[in-house]
Amino acid sequence: MARRYETDVLVIGGGATGAGVMRDLALRGIPCILIDRRDLAAGASGGNHGLLHSGGRYVASDAETAAECRRESELLKRLAPQCIDDCGGVFVAVEGDDPDYARAFPDHCAAAGIPCEELTPAQARKREPALPDSVIAAYAVPDASIDPFRLLLENVGHALNLGNNAYLPHIEVEGFEIDNGAIKTTRCRDMRSGEAVEIHAKQVVSATGAWAERVARMAGCDDVQLVYSKGTLIISNTRIGNGVINRLRPPGDGDILVPGGTVSLLGTSSVTVSDPDDIHPTNEEVDRILSEGADMVPVLSDTRFVRAFCGVRPLLMEKGAEADGRKASRGFALFDHESEGISNFATITGGKLTTFRLMAEKTVDLVAARLGNTAPCRTATEPLPSGDALRWTEPGAAARDWHERADATDTVLCECEMVARSVVDSIVADAPGAEDHMSLKAIALRSRIGKGACQGAFCAMRVTSHLYDAGIYDGPDGLAQMRDFITERYRGVRPVLWGAQLPQTELAEILHVGLAGLDMTPGKEKDGTS
Amino acid sequence: MTAASPTPTIDFLSEAKDLLPPGASFDACVGCGLCASGCPAAGLYGMDPRRFINMAMLGMNEELATTPWVWACTQCKRCGYICPMGIDVSQLVGLARGGWPTEDKPKGIVRSCQAQQMDESTSAMGVRSEDFVEIVEETVEELREAQPRFAHIEAPVDKKGAMFVVNQNSREPAVEPEEMAPMWKIFDYVGADWTYTSKGWAAENFCMFTGDDEAWHDMVKTRVDAINELEPKVWVNTECGHSFYTLWAGIERFGLEANFEADSMVSYYAKWIREGKLPVNSDWNTMGLKFTVQDPCQLIRKSLGDTTAEDLRYVVKKVVGEENFIDMQPNRSANYCCGGGGGFLQAGMNEERRAYGKRKFDQIAATEADYVLTPCHNCHSQIDDIGHHYAGGYRVAHLWSLICLALGILGPDERKYLGPELQDVNLPEET
Repeated sequence: MARRYETDVLVIGGGATGAGVMRDLALRGIPCILIDRRDLAAGASGGNHGLLHSGGRYVASDAETAAECRRESELLKRLAPQCIDDCGGVFVAVEGDDPDYARAFPDHCAAAGIPCEELTPAQARKREPALPDSVIAAYAVPDASIDPFRLLLENVGHALNLGNNAYLPHIEVEGFEIDNGAIKTTRCRDMRSGEAVEIHAKQVVSATGAWAERVARMAGCDDVQLVYSKGTLIISNTRIGNGVINRLRPPGDGDILVPGGTVSLLGTSSVTVSDPDDIHPTNEEVDRILSEGADMVPVLSDTRFVRAFCGVRPLLMEKGAEADGRKASRGFALFDHESEGISNFATITGGKLTTFRLMAEKTVDLVAARLGNTAPCRTATEPLPSGDALRWTEPGAAARDWHERADATDTVLCECEMVARSVVDSIVADAPGAEDHMSLKAIALRSRIGKGACQGAFCAMRVTSHLYDAGIYDGPDGLAQMRDFITERYRGVRPVLWGAQLPQTELAEILHVGLAGLDMTPGKEKDGTS
Repeated sequence: MTAASPTPTIDFLSEAKDLLPPGASFDACVGCGLCASGCPAAGLYGMDPRRFINMAMLGMNEELATTPWVWACTQCKRCGYICPMGIDVSQLVGLARGGWPTEDKPKGIVRSCQAQQMDESTSAMGVRSEDFVEIVEETVEELREAQPRFAHIEAPVDKKGAMFVVNQNSREPAVEPEEMAPMWKIFDYVGADWTYTSKGWAAENFCMFTGDDEAWHDMVKTRVDAINELEPKVWVNTECGHSFYTLWAGIERFGLEANFEADSMVSYYAKWIREGKLPVNSDWNTMGLKFTVQDPCQLIRKSLGDTTAEDLRYVVKKVVGEENFIDMQPNRSANYCCGGGGGFLQAGMNEERRAYGKRKFDQIAATEADYVLTPCHNCHSQIDDIGHHYAGGYRVAHLWSLICLALGILGPDERKYLGPELQDVNLPEET
C-alpha cells in the first residue's frame, strides 16, 4: 500500500527554481508539495559559481538573457541581501585576448542596460591586486556573489512558514498516471525506505533542470529537448579576489573567479555529456580551468584548492541547432505541454540561478491561472525573510556566532568552519527536511560542515559522534552516514590532490580507514558502497 | 583581561603569508589539531592555535585583534614545533599583541618594558647601571669576608677583552644579591675570564612581550652595543630563557652587527664538567632526592634546540646522580611551556596563568620529583607559584645552587631555594 499525499500543486525538483516556485505558490496561498529525489540544491543549483550575474557575461551573445540577469540581480540584491555579497565585478582582457571584443563590451552593456565603467589597467589592479601586469582592458560591472544554498533554504523555509505545503526529500518520480489528458497520480518511490509514494495533485510542475526532458517524457511529452553541458569548478582554500573577476573574451574555460565568502570559485569547463547523472569533475578539466584561470589571475598557480565539483547546465536545444554548450541559449523556457495533450503539467527549465525567481513567477502565473487563483505574484516585492536555522551556509557565520556567545560548553564540532553543536542541533530540529531523518550530507548541505580545508576529515567523525550521543543516529546508521558523506567529499577532493591537499587527504584516510574502518562499512547510497 | 578596544585591524591571513615560510603559512593547515592538543593555553578565552588559524582563514580579524588570548599564549612555539606543516602561530600572536593600544595591554608587561627604557641598564626592576655596579661591588666584598675560600673572588664590570660577557637577571641585584654569588663561584672555580657590562646587563626583555618591535629593537641594540664594546669572544646568557632568545633572535630580526658568539650558561656548565674543570658528583645526595628539569621554551625549542637540552640533562645527572633524575614527559623541544613566559607572569592574569600552568603541574607531579631545576627565571617563578597553588610538594632551584652544592662551595645564606633537608648538606669546610 503506497503512502499517499494530496495537494494542489506538486513541484518536482528541489533546485532554485523549484524552491522559488514553492515560495511563490505559498505567497499566493496555493498549497503544494515539493519533492526531490535527493535533496535541495542537488543539481546545477548547488553546482555553480554562486555568481549573481550583472548580465555582462551574456551581453555579446544573448542580450535578452543579459537584460533579464540585470533586472533580476538588482531585485535580489534588494529583497534577499542576506544571501548576497554585493562585491561588484570586473571584466578584464589580458595580452593575447581579442582587443576588438573588449572594445565592443561597453556598447553591448549599454544595449542591455548594464552599468559598465571603464577602468585603466592600474585602476583594475588597485581594485583587484591579484590581476597581472598584462591587463589590456578592464570594465567594472555590478556582478555579485550569491549563496545558492542559503537562497534555496530561505525560499523553502519561508514557504514552509506560510503553511499548507511540505518539502519531501528523497522522493523520486517513477511515472505518471494520466487520465483524460491530465496527470491524476504521480507515482514515486521513497529512495531511502524503498516505499511506494503516490501524490495526487491538481497541477504538476517539473522544475527538474537537466532532468526535465526525462520527466517530461514520463508524461509522454516530447517537447522538452535539452543539451547537457557539464561545468566543472574548483574551490580555493582562501578568497582570492575582492569581487568577481571575469575574462573579457568570448566565454571559455576558467573565465570566472567568484568569491564565496572566505573562499573563491574558479570555473568553469563546458563539456557536453549525454547523461546528466553520474557526472564527475575530471583532472583534465581541472588542469584546463586552472591554466586558463592563471592567465587572468596568476596567483591561482600557487593557490591551495580544496575541492572540485560540477553541475549540469540544462541548455535548451533549438530545433536544428548544433549541440554546443557555449553557443546554446542561456534563456529559460516554460512548457505548458498543452500541445502534447496534457492540461495540468508544466515544465520550467534552462535559465540561470540569477533568473530563478522570474522563472518561478512565470511558472506560477500559468499554474495559478489554471487553478483559477488570481492573486498576484509577490516575490518581486516581498523581501525574503531569514530563518534562524537557515543562516549557517554563510562562511564564518557559525564562527562569529560561536565567538559572540562565548559558551565554552557548546563544543565546536567542525573546526575549519567553527560549526558548534548548537548549530547542528538547530539544523536537525528546524531546517527544511528536518521532519525527515537527516543524513550527514543533509546537515552539511545546510551548514559549512565538510566545506573547509579538511573536507570532512574531522567533522564527519565529530558530528556523527554527536548525533549518536543525541540519539539521532543508532546502530550502523551513523557509520553509513559517515561513509556516504566522506565518499562524496573525497570525490570532490580527488581532482585537486596536490600541495597541501595531499597530506590533508592522507590524514583523512588515516582517520576514516585506519581509525574508523569505514572501508569495511557499507554506505546507504548505492554510490556510497562502491 | 577584557577585549581590546577596536584598532586598525590586521589582516592576519595576509600577514601570515608574509611572515611565515612558503608552505608553512596558515592556508597549509591540515586541521590535525596537534597544536591545540599540546597547547597549555588551549581553551582559555575559547581559543587555541588551530582556532587562531581557522579564524584567520574565516577573516575574523577583528576577533583575533581583540581576543585577550594573545596575552595567555606565551608564544612558546610548541604549536609550530609539533605542526606537521611547520606553521608557527606564535609569530602572529606577537603581531596581534603589537596591534593592541598601549593602554589596553596588560599593565604589568607595559610597565616592565617602560622601566627597561628608562635607564641604559635595561633593567625591568629599575636597577640603574650605577646601582648595579655598586650592588655587585658590595656583594663581592661581603662574599670575600664571609667565605675565605673566595677571599680574592672577582666580579668584573666592563672589563674589556674578557673572554666572556655575562648578563644578570634583575631579580638578583634587586632583591636577592646573595644569589649572584654561586655563578661567580663557578666562574672562579674554572678560572673563567669574564665580565659584566654596566650598560644593558639586565637579563630580561619585556619589550618583546608587549609586541612593540621598536622597543624590542632598542633593548637589543643597547645590549649588543655594550657587548661589542668589550670585545668578548662569547656572550654567555645567565640561567634565563627569554633573555637569550630576545637577543639571539633580535640580532637577526633587526639585522644588528654582533661581534661575538651567543651561548647559554647551561652549555658552559656542561662543557666545564666534561673537561673536569667542575668536578661535581652526587655524593652529597645520600637521601636520594629526586630531580626533574624544565626545558625553557625560549632556550631549547625556540633557539638552541635539543643539543642544549642534552647539556642540561648531562649537568643535572652529574650533579644529582643519574638514578635521581626523572624526565618530564614530553620533554626537550617538545616540552610544555610552564606558563611563566611571554610576560604572562607579569600580565596580572593569575587565574588564566594558573589554569595554563596546571598542565605543567601535572607533568611535574607525575615525576614525583622533590626538586624542579630550571635555568630560567620565569619558569622558576611560575613553577614555584603553581606548586604552591596546586599544593605540590616540590621545590624549584637554579642550576648554580646545585652545582655549588655538589662542589661543596654553597654558602649557608645561598640556600633560600633549597629545602630544610639540604640546609646543612655539604657546607663549605671553612664555615
